Amino acid sequence: MSSSLPVTQALQSILPEGVLVRGRTVLCSGDAAMSTALLLVCAATQAGSWLAIVGVSDLGLMSACEQGVALQRTVLVTPTDNKKDWTSTVAAVADGFDVMMLEVPRDASESDARRIQTRIQARRNVLVLVETSRHATPRSVFAPDVVLHTQTTRWDGIEHGAGYVQSRHIGITVSGRRVPRAMQHVLQHVG
Amino acid sequence: MVEQIGKQIGKQIGKQIDASEVTRVAVIACADWQAVAAQCELYSRKQWFDAVAVLHAQRVVARTAYAAKQGVQIGMRRREAQAVCPELHIAANNKERDRLMFESVVRAVGELVPLVEVSTPGVILLATRGPSRYVGGDDALAQRLHGITHNALALLADGRPIVFGVGIADGRLTALVAAHAADGRYLVVEPGESAQCLAQLPVSVLADFAEIDRDVVSLLHRLGLSCVGDLATMKPSDLVGRFGPVGFELLRLACGFDRHPPITIAPPPERASTHRFELSVEDVNVVVATARTVADELVTHLNNQGVSCVRLHICMQTDHGEQSDRLWYQPEGLTAAAMAERVRWQMDAWIATRGLTSGVVLLRYLPVGLRAREGRQLGLWGGSTQADEWAARAIERLTTMLGSDSVRVAQWRGGRDVGEVFALTPAAVVDMERRAESVVIKETVWSGALPTPSPSIVYDEPLSAEVNDASGCVVSVSGRHELSASPAHVVIGRHAYNVVSWAGPWPVEERWWDSSRQRRAVRMQMVLARDGDDTAHTTTHAVVMVLEHGEWWMTARYG
Repeated sequence: MSSSLPVTQALQSILPEGVLVRGRTVLCSGDAAMSTALLLVCAATQAGSWLAIVGVSDLGLMSACEQGVALQRTVLVTPTDNKKDWTSTVAAVADGFDVMMLEVPRDASESDARRIQTRIQARRNVLVLVETSRHATPRSVFAPDVVLHTQTTRWDGIEHGAGYVQSRHIGITVSGRRVPRAMQHVLQHVG
Repeated sequence: MVEQIGKQIGKQIGKQIDASEVTRVAVIACADWQAVAAQCELYSRKQWFDAVAVLHAQRVVARTAYAAKQGVQIGMRRREAQAVCPELHIAANNKERDRLMFESVVRAVGELVPLVEVSTPGVILLATRGPSRYVGGDDALAQRLHGITHNALALLADGRPIVFGVGIADGRLTALVAAHAADGRYLVVEPGESAQCLAQLPVSVLADFAEIDRDVVSLLHRLGLSCVGDLATMKPSDLVGRFGPVGFELLRLACGFDRHPPITIAPPPERASTHRFELSVEDVNVVVATARTVADELVTHLNNQGVSCVRLHICMQTDHGEQSDRLWYQPEGLTAAAMAERVRWQMDAWIATRGLTSGVVLLRYLPVGLRAREGRQLGLWGGSTQADEWAARAIERLTTMLGSDSVRVAQWRGGRDVGEVFALTPAAVVDMERRAESVVIKETVWSGALPTPSPSIVYDEPLSAEVNDASGCVVSVSGRHELSASPAHVVIGRHAYNVVSWAGPWPVEERWWDSSRQRRAVRMQMVLARDGDDTAHTTTHAVVMVLEHGEWWMTARYG
């Protein structure tokens, strides 16, 4: 098993290692969290990895498809509200899927998060956490290796009563445990 | 060179064909069962529609006889079908429903013939040798089967006519063709006359009833072989030389034989796998999980022998001695997952008909039809990898833990709203090995859809919003899709936003001819900034706003 999974070219210069290293946790936050997360996992799914999307509400599948996520290797899992079951569900998902996209419920505790991260490291998966502004957790209970905080700076193609949204510029701040110094990047992104 | 080899192989095969024997089978076939099942289900809810069509991926896949008479055809789009038959009731494709509604027919036939094969809902196959002798000949059997099916269907639809046919012939293909041609009655093809019976038929029957690839059939047409009879007169060597193994199958079918020669070598001793549960098991999921492990062993064993199972007899017994027997058929060969799935179907049907009163104590697989394993041709995505296998196991485990509705996969169905382009179906009922075909977007440009890129957040429940112009009046849209004023302020929940830029409106007019189901709405894209922030560092959000019945909703966000 190779030690990493590929990412699309656009993100190669942004991630510290230029790839998704197995066993690591990446947190996407900010207003473009969802599309950044989708962009992050698409190359891995195309290369044959399976993606489980666990508890992510309101995901636009059409957008996932357009960004290149291989939907034939994507499974959507809805965990129960029970907190104990949530941990065991995530653990079961970690057993079978290379990449996991997770929206952390509000009441997740730090011990749950630690157990999941230990599991991820042992099973050599990649965990992508999505923090959409609608369900913002006050502070992440996970200790992500890489944090991609996004902020859209400009929308292209849409004007005052004309055109349509064609692409956008996203400012990405990269920080986290594995990043020695926080870095700023600008990404032109479609979707 | 290749042709030379093909000819040599063809000569050898030509000899084999004469030696092989063919089983005589009876077929009960309800044409367009999916539509009939939908109709019967509606009837059970006290609604009766004469014209029902079942849609999959926006195309008609089945329709009732009445709808067919009105001109609804397979492959039509929803609009075309509704245009030719305005009173048409559209139902979604639902395999569970097809199976469950057919179960009463299967059970009725099962009372005369204990072991029947249901390859797809709507079609029952049975070997005639025993039953025919019991009731006194093929004609008598066909008559009995016709009567039984007629009564069972009459119960389902309260006496309203449902078209079905019974056919008896040598070989599956001829029997299927006979059943479909019987048109409400029964048709018996005398022994040895199958080839003559097929000779006049177009080669497309091979695709319709014998699962030969449509591309191959199209090629046959272009080669000038338009009738099945033309194929039978071809030299085996030529067919094998041109088509490879499929050529041999074509020839067998054209001569009235089954697609694959039955393997007559002595079966390996461990062919039947039996599992006895120590305690009786009442949970379907537990039975299926065990069935999977037993199936794994069986498939590994068969693979080592170089064969795969095309027909499987599954037998289950309960603590109280009730027994359920069913034959399953899959021309490509059953995988372990497919076997476990068949156990689930059989269990579900058994429970639905209240056939069992206690837990299951015994599960037995009996592979009755084997074929040489030639390695399945996998699609563009390559062979199944370790990752695929792990994922399949995890899906099964999660389904057991959370229930099938919580583990879902996307299937393309098309539509003009971003939320309805993909349908989510339980992963348990989807053949994961053939997933690649079902998610592929068949029509990339969908008229009336929002321009791409699509929003990455689509709200399951749209958020109510207020859209006002600069003077504070609610923005409305006229009958000619003209905005009353440019939108300037938006309030969503407790937050107020300023409109930075906007585009649209794009109208949606659906089912305007049907007053009860019509939908009129306009959609707009807006870029919003939080009110009160200074413009230099503020976060902007692009959202999709929908105006319907005078109310604004935020349905999606470019997140």
